[in-house]
Amino acid sequence: MSERERRGGRKPGALPGILAVVAMAAAITLPVVLLSVGGGVSSHEIARLQASGYQIVVSGPGTAGIDLAHQRVGQIAAIPSVGAVSPTLTRPLDLRGPGGRWVPLLAEGIIPSAYYATLGSTASQVFSAPPNLGDPTDMIHYQNGSYAGPVSPDVLVNTTLAQADHLTVGDSVTLAPAANGSGAVTYTVTGTFNVVASLFSTSGNYGIYLPLSNLQVLTGLARTGPGPGGLLDAADSIHVGLTGTASTSPTQIARVVAALHALLPYYGVSTLSQEASQLEGAASILNGFYLVLSSVGLAIGFVFLTLVLVRRVEAERREIGIRRALGLPSRSIAATIVARAVLLGGAGALLGVASGIGTVTVLARVGSAPVQAASRLAVFSPVQLIALGVGALALAGVASAFAVRRALRLPLPEALR
Amino acid sequence: MTSGAVIELAGVTKVYGGAGPAGVRALRGINLRFRPGQYVSIEGPSGCGKTTLLNLLGLIDTPTEGEVRWDGVNVADGSERERARFRLRSIGFVFQRFYLLPTLTVRENVELPLRPLLRGRAERRARAVELLESVGLSARAGFYPSQLSGGEEQRVAIARALVNSPALLLADEPTGELDSDNAGKVLDLLEALHRERQTTLIVVTHNPEVARRARRHLTLRDGRVESDVREGETT
Ligand SMILES: Nc1ncnc2c1ncn2[C@@H]1O[C@H](COP(=O)(O)OP(=O)(O)OP(=O)(O)O)[C@@H](O)[C@H]1O
Ligand SMILES: [Mg+2]
Repeated sequence: MSERERRGGRKPGALPGILAVVAMAAAITLPVVLLSVGGGVSSHEIARLQASGYQIVVSGPGTAGIDLAHQRVGQIAAIPSVGAVSPTLTRPLDLRGPGGRWVPLLAEGIIPSAYYATLGSTASQVFSAPPNLGDPTDMIHYQNGSYAGPVSPDVLVNTTLAQADHLTVGDSVTLAPAANGSGAVTYTVTGTFNVVASLFSTSGNYGIYLPLSNLQVLTGLARTGPGPGGLLDAADSIHVGLTGTASTSPTQIARVVAALHALLPYYGVSTLSQEASQLEGAASILNGFYLVLSSVGLAIGFVFLTLVLVRRVEAERREIGIRRALGLPSRSIAATIVARAVLLGGAGALLGVASGIGTVTVLARVGSAPVQAASRLAVFSPVQLIALGVGALALAGVASAFAVRRALRLPLPEALR
Repeated sequence: MTSGAVIELAGVTKVYGGAGPAGVRALRGINLRFRPGQYVSIEGPSGCGKTTLLNLLGLIDTPTEGEVRWDGVNVADGSERERARFRLRSIGFVFQRFYLLPTLTVRENVELPLRPLLRGRAERRARAVELLESVGLSARAGFYPSQLSGGEEQRVAIARALVNSPALLLADEPTGELDSDNAGKVLDLLEALHRERQTTLIVVTHNPEVARRARRHLTLRDGRVESDVREGETT
C-alpha cells in the first residue's frame, strides 16, 4: 500500500451527511403539512360553528320539507329561552341582468329581521340590520295564512355577481324558476353583500337573497292547496338561537331541543355543539392519524441518520482509535459524534419545517380548488413546530448514542490496526 | 507526570480469542523490569508478540493474566477510564504508521493530548510549538499531515508523543515505513529526546540500526523472552 492510497479515499465525504439531512427533512415535512392543514381546516370549521348566531337547527325530511314556515316562527319563539327563529329556503333560480345574460344561481329565501338575528358576529357585518328586503317580518306579502298582500320585489346580489354582470343598486333584474323562463318576474336590486370565505362556501359566488314568501311563490312552494288549510309555506330548515347565557349552556340547549321535539315530532333537531364536538372528535382522530403517519416518516429518517452516523464512525475507526489511545476522555469523543448528529438532525428539522411551510404555500397557489382552499386555512402552530424540532433532535440524540457506543466499544488494539 | 517509575511486567500472559484451543497465546508468562531512563529495543520474528507486548505496556490492552506495575502498583486492572487518564499523563506512543489526524493541522495534532491537561489555549499552543521546534518542524505548524513527507509525519508523531512529557515512550517500528535517511533522522531525534528528558524508551524494531543504538536488547520468540541482553552483559 503506497502512502497516497493510505491517505486518500478513506473519508466518506459529505454525501451521506447530505442524504441524512434530506431524509430527516422529508420526514419532518409530512407532519408539518398534515398538522398545519388538517389542524387549520378543523379549527376553522369549529370556529365557524362557535361564532354562529344560532345553536339549534330544525330540518324537515328532504328539501323544502318544512311546512307552515311563517307560523312556526311564532310557535318556536314561544319556547322559553328562545331568542331568534329563522326559517330559510334555498332554491335554484335563473337571473337575467341588464346585459341580457341568464345566470344560474342559488336563491336564499329569508325573513329579514329573523335571519339577521341568527347571524354570528362575522356574518352580521356582511348585511345591513336588517337586510334591505322590504318588510323585515316578510308579513306584507304573506298575511294571515295566505299570500294576499303587495309583493316586495327586492333582491340582494353578491358583489362578485354584481361585478360580473355590472349590476348596481336600483337596477332591474329578471328572476325565473330554474329552467322555466316563462314564470319570470322583475326585481329591483336593493343591496349587495360580500362573499366572506369563512361564511359561505364557493357557492356563495352564485348567491342572492329574496324575501322568503317571494321565493316560495316563484318556485311554487307557497301553494294554498285544495285540501283544508292546505297551505305549504315551505322551508328547508329553521335556525333557532337562544338568548344570553342559555346559548352556551348545554342543559338549556337540551331543554329547548326537547321542547322542539315535542312541538315538531317529525322534524330533525340537531345542535351545533353536537356538530362541534363531533368535528373536534374527528379532528383529534385525524391528528392522531397524521402523527402515526409522521412517525413512520420519522422512523425512516431516524434509521437513516443512525446508519450514516455508524458508517461515519466505522470510516473514522482509526482516528477515533488514535484519540482513545492518546487517552483523550470518552466524553470528548462522544461529544464530537453527538454534535455531528445534532447538526444533521437540526439541519434536517429546519429544512423540513421550511419545506413543509413551502409546500403548503405552493399548494395554496397551484393546487386544485379544494386543495387550495384547505391550504389557505393552514395554521402553523409554533408549539407543534417546536415539538417536531425537539423530536428530531431527540431522535438524533438516540441515533448518536448508537454511534457513540460503536465508537467506544471497539477494542483499542483493533481500532489501531 | 509520573517520571522515573520502575515499570514491570509480572507473569504476563495474553490470549486472543478466548481461553479454549482456538485462542492465540500471543504472550506466555513474561517477566520484565525496566529501570527509569532505559533505552530498550525489542526484536523478534513477525507474530512473536512484540506489538502485543507494547500494547500491554502502554495500557492500550490488558493482560489475560499477570500484572503491569508502575513502582509496584498494578495499573492494568483499572477501568477503561482510569487507563485512559494514565495514558494521557504518563505514556507517549509512536506508531509504525504515523497515525496523525488528517483533519487537524500539524500543530493541532501535537496539541491534541494537551486539551484535557492544559486549560489555557495559548499555553497549549506554546507547548506544541516548542515540541515542533525540537523536532525541527516549527515551519510546518500550519500544514496538514497530507502535505508532509513520511519522515516529517513521523517527527510530528514523536512531538505529539512527547508533548505531555511522558515517563514512558513506546514506539512500534517507528522507522518501518521510512527510507534509511529519514529513519536515521527519526532515530537521532528519539535518542536525543530520550537522553535530554530521561524518558524510558522502548522501541520495537526490525531495524538493526535501532537495535545497535539501544542499551538493552530484548528478543521475543513465540510469546516468550528469548534473550535479554544489556550493554556488555547477558541475562
Ligand atoms: N486481535 C487479535 N486477535 C487474535 N490474534 C491476534 C490479535 N492480535 C494479534 N494476534 C496474534 O497474536 C500474535 C502476536 O501478534 P503481534 O501483533 O504482537 O505480533 P508482532 O510481533 O507485532 O508481529 P509483527 O512483527 O508482524 O508486527 C500473532 O500470532 C497474531 O496473529
Ligand atoms: Mg507488530
